[in-house]
Amino acid sequence: MSGAPAPVVAVRWRVALLALGALALVTGVLAGLARLGVGVPDAAAGKAALHGPLMIGGFFGVVISLERAVALGRRWAYAAPLLAGLSTLATFVGSAHGPWLLVAASAVLFAATADVVRRQPALFTFTLLCGVACWLAGNLAWALGGVPHASTWWWLAFLVLTITGERLELSRFLPPSPAARRAFAAILAAFAVALALEANGTEAGVRVLGASLVALATWLGRQDVARRTVRGEGLTRYVAACLLSGYAWLGFAGAMLALGETAPGGAQRDAALHALALGFVFAMVFGHAPIIVPAVLRSPVPYRPLFYVPLALLHASLAVRVTADLAGAVPLARAGGLANALVLALFVVTMATSVLRARRG
Amino acid sequence: MMRAMNAPAPPDESVVRDALATVVDPEAGMNIIDLGLVYRVESGPAGVVVDMTMTTPACPVADMLVDEARSAVAQVAPPGTPIDVRLVWDPIWNPSMMSGVAKDHFGWV
Repeated sequence: MSGAPAPVVAVRWRVALLALGALALVTGVLAGLARLGVGVPDAAAGKAALHGPLMIGGFFGVVISLERAVALGRRWAYAAPLLAGLSTLATFVGSAHGPWLLVAASAVLFAATADVVRRQPALFTFTLLCGVACWLAGNLAWALGGVPHASTWWWLAFLVLTITGERLELSRFLPPSPAARRAFAAILAAFAVALALEANGTEAGVRVLGASLVALATWLGRQDVARRTVRGEGLTRYVAACLLSGYAWLGFAGAMLALGETAPGGAQRDAALHALALGFVFAMVFGHAPIIVPAVLRSPVPYRPLFYVPLALLHASLAVRVTADLAGAVPLARAGGLANALVLALFVVTMATSVLRARRG
Repeated sequence: MMRAMNAPAPPDESVVRDALATVVDPEAGMNIIDLGLVYRVESGPAGVVVDMTMTTPACPVADMLVDEARSAVAQVAPPGTPIDVRLVWDPIWNPSMMSGVAKDHFGWV
């Protein structure tokens, strides 16, 4: 009677789902390197055009929807990470159904998140739902239009709003003032308008999007409980350091989008997109992993000061890449991109060795 | 009947609460008692019952914290004591449920 109840989906199945996410991560990173002109195996080089969908749908789609399924504790919610994982496999067997599998995955995640909103109607749960709606919209645009780049902003909005919703939830430990809540709602509205403008082909859309990201970074930097917890110690302090450093990149990416020249294929666009995706989103991943991995896999990841090494190298290698992008130094940008990939691998190794050390006792 | 009479006494509720105060929500860096996540503690001859919640149903660490709470109670309960840690969502947690210690920690004025 004092034993723990079994989870609705056994841990070994969660591991299998995560393995599909890992496959997308590895393939997606190699596909990204192929775009930078780095020699990679043919299996990945042939997917250079799919870097975005593999990273956001195949990797983050699996991870985020798995995390939500674990939180909900409903078996049907696990269909979302499964479908997102199958979309990655579809690209390997040459199937054209990958985009539609992502549409189905995002539809299931939308239903799961709507269940969260039903249980707890609040600004932060609504923000999570908006994030999933963006993923669904981007996937539909890809499935119907056939080209992934038209969905870039929708997909990034999925990540930005998911992270923002989760931080907004934790900001309740020091509840924002009514004025701060109104400011947040205004930023969310500006973000939605920007996405609509961009989808409509209006050039100002990306600039409004950039401005709303700057406002969001400012809001999070002021309101996030990480400002307090960074004065703590151990894991809590490390997580806060990941968050606060990520907000700096979020603001930088927003400023670049608001002011820069971000036509598709340009170096400035590469700098802005990766400041957002690596500097902001992956910094959150680095911080969140030691909390989420134990929850999903039931394997502790004890904190080690070593965790700061991949974090510092992530920011340093990204700074090199972004600076090189802006200076037009193509070989250095390529080296920076390669260093970004190696840092992700170092992070995975750091987490894996921490899990193994803990298991050995 | 004899066995029940000889059974070790159940732990005091305050002892159970102290044990639960060693369980820390990793995101908040604060224990679940001060966060106001523990709604009810009952300790009697039938065992220990704990009702606890999370700050949100979207929280994936729920199962892990429930497991940790169960282990923490087991540390202070006589071996074989039935321990039932339940995850409840009624009422929904809100920040006013935090203790003064937690509110100070997060900078409430």
